[in-house]
Amino acid sequence: MPINTFAKYFRKVYTNFATHIYDVPPRMLAFLILIIFTIVPYAGIEPRRLDILTSANLMAILAVSWDLLVGRTGLISLGHALFYGVGAYSSAILFKYFQWPIWVTIPLSLIAGVGMALIIGTPCLRMKGPYLALVTMAFPIAIVGFLYYFRDIFGGEVGIQRLPRVFTIPPFSLNERYVANYYLSLVLLALSSIIIYKIATSKTGIVFVSILDDELGSKACGINVTKYKLMSFAISGLFGSLAGSLYAHMLGGSATPRYFYDNTALIPIENSIVPIIVTILGGIGTIYGPIIGTYIYFLLNRYVFENLIQIDPHIQLLVFISIVVLLVVKWPRGIARTIVEKLEDLEEPREIEEIEKEKTKKVEKG
Amino acid sequence: MLEYIIIFGTISGLIYALIALGFTLVYGISGMANLTHGVFFVIGAYLYGVFSSYLSQLISPTFFYLIPVFAMISSFVLTGIIGSVFYRVTLHQILGDEVGILIASICGCIIFQQLIYIIMGTTAAFSFRIELLVPGKITLMNTDVLAGQSLAALISLLAFIVLSVFISKTKTGRAMKALSQDLEAAMLVGISTEKLYMFTTAISAGLASLAGILYTSTITEGVTSYMWMLGLAISFTVVILGGLGSIKGSLVGGLILGFTGTAAIKILPEAGVLQQSIPFIVIILVLIIRPKGLFGKRVEME
Repeated sequence: MPINTFAKYFRKVYTNFATHIYDVPPRMLAFLILIIFTIVPYAGIEPRRLDILTSANLMAILAVSWDLLVGRTGLISLGHALFYGVGAYSSAILFKYFQWPIWVTIPLSLIAGVGMALIIGTPCLRMKGPYLALVTMAFPIAIVGFLYYFRDIFGGEVGIQRLPRVFTIPPFSLNERYVANYYLSLVLLALSSIIIYKIATSKTGIVFVSILDDELGSKACGINVTKYKLMSFAISGLFGSLAGSLYAHMLGGSATPRYFYDNTALIPIENSIVPIIVTILGGIGTIYGPIIGTYIYFLLNRYVFENLIQIDPHIQLLVFISIVVLLVVKWPRGIARTIVEKLEDLEEPREIEEIEKEKTKKVEKG
Repeated sequence: MLEYIIIFGTISGLIYALIALGFTLVYGISGMANLTHGVFFVIGAYLYGVFSSYLSQLISPTFFYLIPVFAMISSFVLTGIIGSVFYRVTLHQILGDEVGILIASICGCIIFQQLIYIIMGTTAAFSFRIELLVPGKITLMNTDVLAGQSLAALISLLAFIVLSVFISKTKTGRAMKALSQDLEAAMLVGISTEKLYMFTTAISAGLASLAGILYTSTITEGVTSYMWMLGLAISFTVVILGGLGSIKGSLVGGLILGFTGTAAIKILPEAGVLQQSIPFIVIILVLIIRPKGLFGKRVEME
């Protein structure tokens, strides 16, 4: 009976897989994925094409920071491009006026991002739902007007051009620069997502979730909601501006109003919409979801749709946005999260409940 | 100077108020911030262009004034149908989920933007010139105004009057009012929320399309598919100035925005580049001072 033996063999393979591969702790799995991405530049990809992955990594940092703010704390932001642009512009201005090296301006731009987050966060603390969405969407567009108005400082529509690139020091050739850019972005993505994941699973992160679930209740429990909301904004702004300033110094080479709001693009608010798309694809409220979503988005968008099946970019965007609406309406937990949760449910459903109980106990104690 | 600001501020203010009317109507009745409102503003203007070019072949030139009237009505109806169908298919399924509604509706805006682009192409076509309908100028308070512009303002004022009469006098309107006051009691009396929400969304989309037609008739540049951002920005600003969910408030908010916008451009002509940011700056300033809008309801505890 060949079919029977085949079925037996299949069953054996499956049990092997279920007992050995599933049992690998998530940390090991993440490490394996990191190793795979480390090998990527040597897997026969043209160095120039690595820029796509680099920009995907930077977008993933922005998306992860959006996820912390919206998915974990429930402060809806429809204008996350604000932090992206603030990061790019602040490091560009520091370079233009003081000629400081990149290794000084990029960390300083993070401080600018945190400052901007506190500026936008303070009035937003009193708002909820639609009002918050409106203000966060309005901020980047209003700022673009000021960029045009103070032409001498910000350079108007052209922006601040000819910024120094991260790896332009002579030892790097052009091809090596693509690889170096890729590695730097990968390391920073890994670091920032680990930091955000640690924050999200720490006590602070649980307080964030409690604000999302029931703001009034957490206030009644004696939690300083104002402080935690501002903290969420600040962390999100920090990583958002990191992504922005890195993009300006790695790939863009300039800081233009395009980072905030682009009248000529497919979507005028592209940098604010793409984090939303990728987070919904991956699963909102998880921290790993946006990263997986970003890779799905960029692989489909830049490799499949541009090389394998040639589709008009406008139709591509339509397809993506329709998928997002479908996911929000029918499958609100996202692709990656649903898969991971199904795997966890198959394994040990009890353990998750126990972990959650422990978490709630921690909150009660603290 | 002052006369100029008063006259043109009123005209633009009435049109701004009409843009926001549908948005505030839906929010007042269902408590849902439907951001797709911005895109119906654009769809209305485009549909008007399509219908008027089609009707101009059917109707003889002697009755040319019938063309805009019919085109306006059919654009109103068709946009209303599109709006309520989109609402029923997507937003109705996630009524309680605030974040989901905001994300789904802004994605809806981009879907329609792309559809318009794919169907219509890049041409920023169809600018309905209301001056053709009523040529000439009127002199009001020593200021020359195009008759067409004042007609547009009158039409939007008329829309306000018709809507408030509809809400206070008819049975459906009263049901809508009841729904906004107490959802559970209204359901207990036998009002079908599902049908009424769809109907409200349809009216709101229709009003947005009317506003789009009137707004594009008063500006010099044509309509483009990404103008939904502008429509959304104006309706946000008006609604925030006047408070979400109040019809009178949106009239007041529209007039305030009209006056400030006209005055800002008249007094500081070199700030023309800031013009696209004015509504956004006003939003931010007002919300920092009063987080629920100037005339909005006070924060209610759950």
